[in-house]
Amino acid sequence: MKTTSFPSEWTLQRAIAFVAALGIGVATYIAIADSGGGSPVCIAGGHGCATVAKSSYSHVAGVNIAVFGIVGYVLLLASAFFANDAARLGGFAVALGGFGYSVFLTYLEIFKIEAICQWCVASAVLMTILFLLNATRLIGYAGTEEGLHARERRA
Amino acid sequence: MSAEPERRQRLLQMAAGAAFLVLAIVLVLIVVNSTSGGGGDTTIDEAAEVNRSLDGIPQNQMVLGDPKAPVELVEFGDLQCPVCAGYAKEILPPIIENQVKKGEVKIDFRNLTIISEESIPAGAAALAAGEQGRGWNYLELFYRNQGEERSGYVTDEFMEAVAKAAGVKDLARWNQDRKQLTGEVEKTTAEAQQLGFNGTPSFAVEGPGTKGLELLGTPESTGALEEAIADAS
Repeated sequence: MKTTSFPSEWTLQRAIAFVAALGIGVATYIAIADSGGGSPVCIAGGHGCATVAKSSYSHVAGVNIAVFGIVGYVLLLASAFFANDAARLGGFAVALGGFGYSVFLTYLEIFKIEAICQWCVASAVLMTILFLLNATRLIGYAGTEEGLHARERRA
Repeated sequence: MSAEPERRQRLLQMAAGAAFLVLAIVLVLIVVNSTSGGGGDTTIDEAAEVNRSLDGIPQNQMVLGDPKAPVELVEFGDLQCPVCAGYAKEILPPIIENQVKKGEVKIDFRNLTIISEESIPAGAAALAAGEQGRGWNYLELFYRNQGEERSGYVTDEFMEAVAKAAGVKDLARWNQDRKQLTGEVEKTTAEAQQLGFNGTPSFAVEGPGTKGLELLGTPESTGALEEAIADAS
């Protein structure tokens, strides 16, 4: 049941698309830095990025986790272009998984690797925002035809 | 807008279930990781190669080679020092492969910590591995997996991973020993400074052809070290 306190679905879709595009940029940078045998450069200084990149947690089954991040952000971007329940639920599920994994990775950085990678933190923040946006979208518009279709009708 | 209460309720129930599931998975992952021994998950490269290259060479604390070898080459190094890592990879291997394996020379590694405070626990960890006959395996593997100086990579996790890869059998004892050996690291650092060494690696040699410990400084090639060894023999 949509309430008036929610932003329009169209607004949420645009915000999701924007943040997901930023996420693709961040994850792509981390993946490219790793594929060249190096590590992301911490813009604010320090060597946390190199330490995190060198840890075994940076790869799953030999694949840099940034690659999984790119896939997640692309799916989230795609979900923003559709205003139906599949996109709402799919977007929420991907953002939820990404958010959960970001929480776990942040725990690893602080307590296991004992180093903070600013790019990983940036990605975790973006994924958290995407989780909140997608949760808002799902709660506000699940079971409705709001969004692009409604906007088209209004036009 | 045509809301479908039942469909909506079902979707939200699914979302809530998924959220609960993800929360449970994250908690399980964190609990499993926090109880997994606190280390050893860092990837250590070249372990098999290093351990194979040192196989069969006697090790007594940080001395590599036959204890009766007539010539002793002393290396003062810092585990965080990239130049020392370069020596471990390029300059020393031919000497280990030839003179050390033949029992002509033994190499004694001593800590001279100059990079940062982190070099002290790193050096003590090597000494603790040396207590179990794996000091040089530890040293070589540390050098081959070195991070950037002062970057904070010398964590308990990293050192434990190196110890495991180096073949340190009793990690509990290693953990205990390394905490007690920091004084030894400081002692050899002071010894090196008294000898006039202030950079790493610095070498000295002692043998039948020398009058006590002869300071070599930092010979720039394997050939220069071999020549010093020959003079000391």
